[in-house]
Amino acid sequence: MLAFLTSWLADAPITAVPYALAALGLIISERSGVLNLTAEGLMLVGALTGVGSCLTFDGHPGLALVVAMVSASCVSLLFAGLVVVLRVNQVIAGLSVVFFCQGLTGLVGTLANWQNKHIEGMAHLAIWPFSEIPVIGRIFFMQDPVVYLTVVIFFLVNYWLSSTMMGLRIRSVGENPAAADAAGISVALHRVLAIVLGSSLIGLAGGYISVVNVKLWVTGMTGGRGWIAVALVVFARWAPWPALWGALLFGCIEAVIPHIAAAGIRVPQYLMMMTPYLATIAVMIWVGATQRVGSSEPGALGQPHVREERR
Amino acid sequence: MHDSSALSSTGETASPPAAGRSRFVLDVRQSLPAWKQSLFLAVSLGLGLALSVAILWVAGISPIDLAGELAGVFNADSLRGVLVQAAPLMLVGLAASLAFRIGFWNLGLDGQMVFGGIFAGAISIYQIGPPSTRLLLMGIAAAVGGSLWCLLAGFLKLRFRVNEIIATLLLNYVAVYFLFHLLYGAWQDAKTAFPQSTPFQPFERLTDLGYGINSGLLIAIVAILAAAWLIHYSRIGFYMRFISANPSMAKVVGIPIRAVTLWTVAISGACAGLAGFVNVASQEGRLTESYADGYVFSGVLIAFLSRNDPIVVAVVGFLIAVLFITGQTLQVFYQIPFTMVQMIEAIIVMSVASSEFFIRHRIRWIR
Repeated sequence: MLAFLTSWLADAPITAVPYALAALGLIISERSGVLNLTAEGLMLVGALTGVGSCLTFDGHPGLALVVAMVSASCVSLLFAGLVVVLRVNQVIAGLSVVFFCQGLTGLVGTLANWQNKHIEGMAHLAIWPFSEIPVIGRIFFMQDPVVYLTVVIFFLVNYWLSSTMMGLRIRSVGENPAAADAAGISVALHRVLAIVLGSSLIGLAGGYISVVNVKLWVTGMTGGRGWIAVALVVFARWAPWPALWGALLFGCIEAVIPHIAAAGIRVPQYLMMMTPYLATIAVMIWVGATQRVGSSEPGALGQPHVREERR
Repeated sequence: MHDSSALSSTGETASPPAAGRSRFVLDVRQSLPAWKQSLFLAVSLGLGLALSVAILWVAGISPIDLAGELAGVFNADSLRGVLVQAAPLMLVGLAASLAFRIGFWNLGLDGQMVFGGIFAGAISIYQIGPPSTRLLLMGIAAAVGGSLWCLLAGFLKLRFRVNEIIATLLLNYVAVYFLFHLLYGAWQDAKTAFPQSTPFQPFERLTDLGYGINSGLLIAIVAILAAAWLIHYSRIGFYMRFISANPSMAKVVGIPIRAVTLWTVAISGACAGLAGFVNVASQEGRLTESYADGYVFSGVLIAFLSRNDPIVVAVVGFLIAVLFITGQTLQVFYQIPFTMVQMIEAIIVMSVASSEFFIRHRIRWIR
């Protein structure tokens, strides 16, 4: 039983990291007032380019993750152009980008022949004296570097959003773009910035799935994790730390599935694979049933800003 | 240039800008002549299609080959395939457009198609009803199945304020895994090792009516005509227009918003369920893993391009069917993955959506 718990909880951070990073990236973008549904597509872009750079260059996983971040940011410029410059409906634009990325990654992955090619991945980091502690050492002090990096990123982004001038401007653009505009803050610039920075984290989330966790590329491999991240943002009420706890919860739920099968408990495989999605819906029901709607939602979420337009 | 520039006098042009601050200014147009609107639309659609052709060129299909494949779609044999393919596309487009009319983002078209197929398949597999009415029963069951799956998301939205975008998208995955559960388990055809159900009986298949027209297309056209009547002439259609035009006013004057929403959601789901039925009963002849793959964004695209008008849905659905058949040809002869179709669909939506910006706004350079 203890062995089961240890191996399960030791795997939970690995499944939680993509949710956490993607949700954080979405939070940055949505705090600037841009309803962002692109996570599923940008994660695929990150996952594909991460594996692609591993196979093309000499396979350094750190470089692969940087490539994943940069490529997702580049693709997000398309989304930024659509919603910030061209004021396209943000739901339509987000969906288009997701399906564009699904098609493009499928095409590139097949043409470049990156499909199902195994890569080296990233070694675990044992933080020595602590990693020898039974149970706790395995769970907390023997993870790959990105798990620890994720915590650092959360600290940095939380500080950046809540305590710096840039963070304040991004939030003001999301709450009341007209007032921010009148105060001399460029709405377009800050929204593009928030989208691009947030998307780099989403790309990192996707790259982590393929490069560190699964260690290969399969078409459509994110399997709806981007949509779960969108739900996680609502669950977290657009605040970074609750998103991390929510991601850990989903990480635990997803990580338990292979362990139950490995422990020899006979459950229908495909019904088990539904659990992350059903859990997400359950969490959304809980949010809707217990919390006031719109209380912490960014004020201008989903509304394009046109200076002279009447509303 | 255009008289709508008068509107800009409310903003910053009221006070002359300081010297040296030359910049772009965005004006809201009041109106634009129809031919200009069409011009903007055509130019951006052309750019989008050019981009698609360019991507395919990079992928190894020269524009001449592509034109050849596209022309090949219109010979008699392929045209039959297009007409068979058009039926489910029209139905999902109709499903999306009905839901979008009241602002319900039904992105669960895949899942509703899956449940339509599963319900129809259940009638076939458990041999419910006499052979003469079996097909009718399967169609009704499919509509009910899709409708219930969609109503689940509608109920979650109305009762628990769960965002329907997230709910419907996640329910797609649940539905597909449920289908896998059946096809790798209880419903698997014992004769094959593939995840497929046993083939339907001949009287459980949608057959050709002659002239290469499949009866699936007839279902789609009847559904479209019914939807057109519903939207333009029925009471619920009037309510739907009222709710989308002004929800708070609709509430104040006592329009039963919840009932109208639930009915619309149910009808939308029923259309998607019928699309699943048409796919399994005409093309596949059995339940397979992938009979609902790639339809959700096609539905969104068709609804978006047709501006939620049922009659236009039929036209756009036919055009997207041409795209689908071309995509299948490219998949077979050039090893281009079928997801390419989704990419082109996304490019089309992006370019058309962008054209609306230029239709509604005017950009001026101020010195």
